Amino acid sequence: MKLLIELIRSTMLAATPILLASLGGTYTYYANIFNIAMEGMMLIGAFFAVLGSYLSGSWLIGLLAGVGGGLLAALIFVFFAVYMKTDEFVTGIALNMFALGGTTYLLRQIFSVKGAFTSSKIIGIPSWEIPIIDQIPVLGKLLSGYPFIVYLALLLAILVEIHIYKTKFGLRLRATGEDDQTVDSVGINSDQIKSISIILSGVLSGLGGVFLSLGYVTLFAENMSNGRGWIALAVIILTRGRPLGLLMMSLLFGFFDGLGLTLQGTMIPSQITQMVPYLATLVALYFYSKEKRPKEEKPNESLAV
Amino acid sequence: MPKELIEIKNLVKIYPPETLAVNQVDLIIKEGEIHALIGENGAGKSTLMKVLYGMIPFNSGSIYLDNKKIDFKSPREAVQAGIGMVHQEFMLIHKYTIYENVILGVEPTAKFGLLKQKESKKRVQKIIDNYQLKLNPDDRIEDISVAARQKVEILKLLYRDVDILILDEPTAVLTPQEIEELFARLKSLKKAGKTIIFISHKLNEVLELADSVTVMRQGKKVATMTNEGLSKADLARAMVGRDVVFSIEKEAAQPADIICQIKDLSFIDNHKKKRLDKLNFTIRAGEIVGIAGVEGNGQFELVQVISGLIDNYQGEIIINNNSLKKLSILERRKLLAYVPQDRKNTGSAQALSLIENTIMTHHQINTRLTGKFDYLLNKKASRDLTREIIDDYQVLSSGPAAKISSLSGGNQQKLIVGREFAMATDFILLDNPTRGLDVGSIEFIQQQIIKSRDQGTAILLISADLDELFSLADRLVVIHQGRITAEKLPEATDKEEIGEYMLGARRDEIR
Amino acid sequence: MKKQIITSLIGILIAFLIGLIILKLQNYPALESYKQLLNYSLFSRFSLFSTLNKAAPLILTGLSAAIAFGSGAVNLGQVGQFLIGAISVTVAGLFLNLPPVIMLPTLILIALLAGALYAGIAAFLKLKFGMDEFITTLMLNFIAQFFTLYLITGPLLDKKMFSPMTEAINRSAWFPNFSGLDFSFILALIILVVIYFIWNHTKMGYEWKVMGQNDLFARTGGVKINSNYLKVMLLSGALASLAGAMLIMGGVQHRFLKGIGANYGWDGVMVAVVANNGVIGTGLYALFFAMLQTGAMGMELETSVPLEFVLVLQAITVLFVVASRESAHLLFNRLKMYFKLRGIKSKEEGQADETTN
Repeated sequence: MKLLIELIRSTMLAATPILLASLGGTYTYYANIFNIAMEGMMLIGAFFAVLGSYLSGSWLIGLLAGVGGGLLAALIFVFFAVYMKTDEFVTGIALNMFALGGTTYLLRQIFSVKGAFTSSKIIGIPSWEIPIIDQIPVLGKLLSGYPFIVYLALLLAILVEIHIYKTKFGLRLRATGEDDQTVDSVGINSDQIKSISIILSGVLSGLGGVFLSLGYVTLFAENMSNGRGWIALAVIILTRGRPLGLLMMSLLFGFFDGLGLTLQGTMIPSQITQMVPYLATLVALYFYSKEKRPKEEKPNESLAV
Repeated sequence: MPKELIEIKNLVKIYPPETLAVNQVDLIIKEGEIHALIGENGAGKSTLMKVLYGMIPFNSGSIYLDNKKIDFKSPREAVQAGIGMVHQEFMLIHKYTIYENVILGVEPTAKFGLLKQKESKKRVQKIIDNYQLKLNPDDRIEDISVAARQKVEILKLLYRDVDILILDEPTAVLTPQEIEELFARLKSLKKAGKTIIFISHKLNEVLELADSVTVMRQGKKVATMTNEGLSKADLARAMVGRDVVFSIEKEAAQPADIICQIKDLSFIDNHKKKRLDKLNFTIRAGEIVGIAGVEGNGQFELVQVISGLIDNYQGEIIINNNSLKKLSILERRKLLAYVPQDRKNTGSAQALSLIENTIMTHHQINTRLTGKFDYLLNKKASRDLTREIIDDYQVLSSGPAAKISSLSGGNQQKLIVGREFAMATDFILLDNPTRGLDVGSIEFIQQQIIKSRDQGTAILLISADLDELFSLADRLVVIHQGRITAEKLPEATDKEEIGEYMLGARRDEIR
Repeated sequence: MKKQIITSLIGILIAFLIGLIILKLQNYPALESYKQLLNYSLFSRFSLFSTLNKAAPLILTGLSAAIAFGSGAVNLGQVGQFLIGAISVTVAGLFLNLPPVIMLPTLILIALLAGALYAGIAAFLKLKFGMDEFITTLMLNFIAQFFTLYLITGPLLDKKMFSPMTEAINRSAWFPNFSGLDFSFILALIILVVIYFIWNHTKMGYEWKVMGQNDLFARTGGVKINSNYLKVMLLSGALASLAGAMLIMGGVQHRFLKGIGANYGWDGVMVAVVANNGVIGTGLYALFFAMLQTGAMGMELETSVPLEFVLVLQAITVLFVVASRESAHLLFNRLKMYFKLRGIKSKEEGQADETTN
């Protein structure tokens, strides 16, 4: 029983950063922007969150700094991909490398460490004890006491669903993704819609980064996003971007991640258990492609470069 | 005397780098008239109207609306000022419903940007009823016909309360019957007080519909005339700058042996929809068989099935006694040449050179292009072949190494036609080979097609342009919803009759 | 071609200027740092050879990406294929011991095969099940990372060492070294020439190039897309894998250490992207990146700028080179348009003058 509760708790924790990044990425998905920069946006968010929290001693400043970092990454993306018409794939690759190099550089430059930086001066995101549920034996353990970003992420999943499917912006966003010339022809600036979608993806991915470095753990390590941005991208493709689908799929990956952690105490070496989420992505993609295949007219259709 | 509503003065538009699309044009549109803007493809009609609609910026000159100088930065401003435009390529989101397409850009919203649907939906329905558009606002664009899509475009403008409607080549995709309906609708709009600008290159239509006609040629305005006592020949001369022959000259066909045989050809797509339904026809050496039909009635699938892009069909396609079933595309290409409709995506690789675009397929079939070993490419022979095609097909270019994207559409198409005709196969599949080209290129390509026929090639011509079918084809096959509804000799029928078959209003028992 | 060189230079220049500003803002001696960067990468035989040695694997991962992208296959699995190549020659080098004349070609062959197979998994999943290689190769990267980490912390661990690594491979598997210049570089050059030949002089290379630009056109023209795709993926994987092998067989360590060659995979992707998938360009940019990375150590030594600075510089370079390639084109067209407009206007004025006169 205790193991099961642990597993569920670690599922929730592991799912949150993936959920946040994929909620961000789903905006660009609907705008038909090939955004592979969530990984880098997260990493920058994670770094600035630690920097902000460490310098100010306030988790709130840390959070704002982290989100600001994601925003900054998004603005770079907007500048190159939307306004300089640089290839989105190229921009994404370069931005990821910029994030990896930049955070590693600043880690040494500011904190004079290599690898990871941890300090008692980094203030983490507070956990939220839900008043009444907190008291109920099992349910309290299951539902209460997570860093509040976890709850925020769940709420965001619903809000993003509404935003994309029920609002004016959502209508325009999806139309931009289908055919941006048509959108321009009815007097909507599709570049602006695209820019907003990239900015939202940056902000949400940045928030995912904040959770990584101030919620999941309280430290910054080189390349600590460790493929979560890529998994978020896979999640988006697998669910065709439906926010509630993203929630389910993120939880599934969180579960496998948690399973990996739970299995670590056993005979199986930790390096093998850590592969689990990535293997799970492959398996999920297999089922997705199997289902999608018959509808595909062209057998060799790759995501454009 | 109706007042002058729009005045365009000395307008210049250059597409970067150096395409002078509109060259110092003056134009006056009067209130409440139907004003036709005619000219060949590339004469600058569409560009001029896109400028007026605020879609593209202009370089110099001025535009006045109701004597106020205007300079729209976006179509939104144009719509606010009461100008709307229906583009030649419809601007619709295919996955959206008619209603969603109509409100896109002018969405009624409640708090937090949430969409407010109820009233606007009523209004959409009311306009549909008022103008008898016969549309269901909840239908998706991808599920409705081309003619219905055009009505949606007009509905979009009516919903936005525009007074001036610009329609770019609205009849290009319609059957004669649908064109009649459209014209009746435009006339009733005119009665309702709207001003209509109508872009076309079809002279009959212009003479039937317009109050005044402006002719453009090579970016310049030739003249504006009132439609009184004008003749087709007058307009044609103004359009082209010389007397034009209306039909291409050709001898009677002398069909010989059967080259291509289509037997009980059916194709069911992945959505279980029957796209081709038991097609039967033959094409003999030395004849051109034309396929007529409203777009989306199986032409696309027929082409894909023959070219090999789709291979799970039922029935038989036989060329030179070879069944195409189980043949790879490369093996098929030894039997047939193919000029696709989509020049940019299927017919060429825009980022590559003329050479690289010319040697496609030849590089595997034409032994001349093989180098010292079988796997090597002979680069000199590749260049020579390209040069030959450039010369033989009058392709204007800066040389074989130039990128194909640096060529005009007509020259690109001439190169593609040259490449395919140079395969010297007995059968050629032509899918709208002259669509969207300038008159010179059209004439040249049509002559090449006739020439190839006279040399004994069997040709299957699919075209959305009935004029082209009537002037080129020796036999016409009409399809509707994937079935053959008629097989006629062009001299024994007319466009109206073919139109009825295209719409499925009539159907012959074929075999 | 000429235009490409100019826009590349402009892009690099802008990137370096931005780097200069970053350094200035952090109170480093900026120009001095750049000077040391060049000093330690070019201006002595030792530094030049270090740069060339560093460039060798980068040329291969770059070619791996360039061949794939240029043919329309989105192989982002260089990281994983690199590790698989490295671990396979490590295993072979530990357990095989043949005379060098046989040993070296055998190991090179093993590396090529291993990488081809590993990329082949992604190709198989694509062709058989329609799974996009761009995600599968990424996931296979992580799997390869953890798998190799498992091997070097478990079965292959050198227990005498304090951090996870294997023992050194047998001497017969070491690449010869020509007074500082590693055989790796020569091998990389040979492969560059071979790839150039395939790309430009064979029918297969032509088909790949067309597929990369427009695969529908290629398919319509009779190109066998699937078998070509498979070949591209196998070759691409083999090249990245050989890069990994070079790090074990060449250099000085001759063993698989934790985190080995961490950046080569993605740097290769960047090199290909910035070179617009051209073969020669990939070689040149690989040299350029290698120069930056080699010089970075000297820079850190002399002006204490952390060597990670060049990672930032690389990414900025990629962005600006690619962006200036695109925008130079637009700018050029705009200029042409402007002059044409001037021409029309002056003619118009000329006519107006005539009529008034």
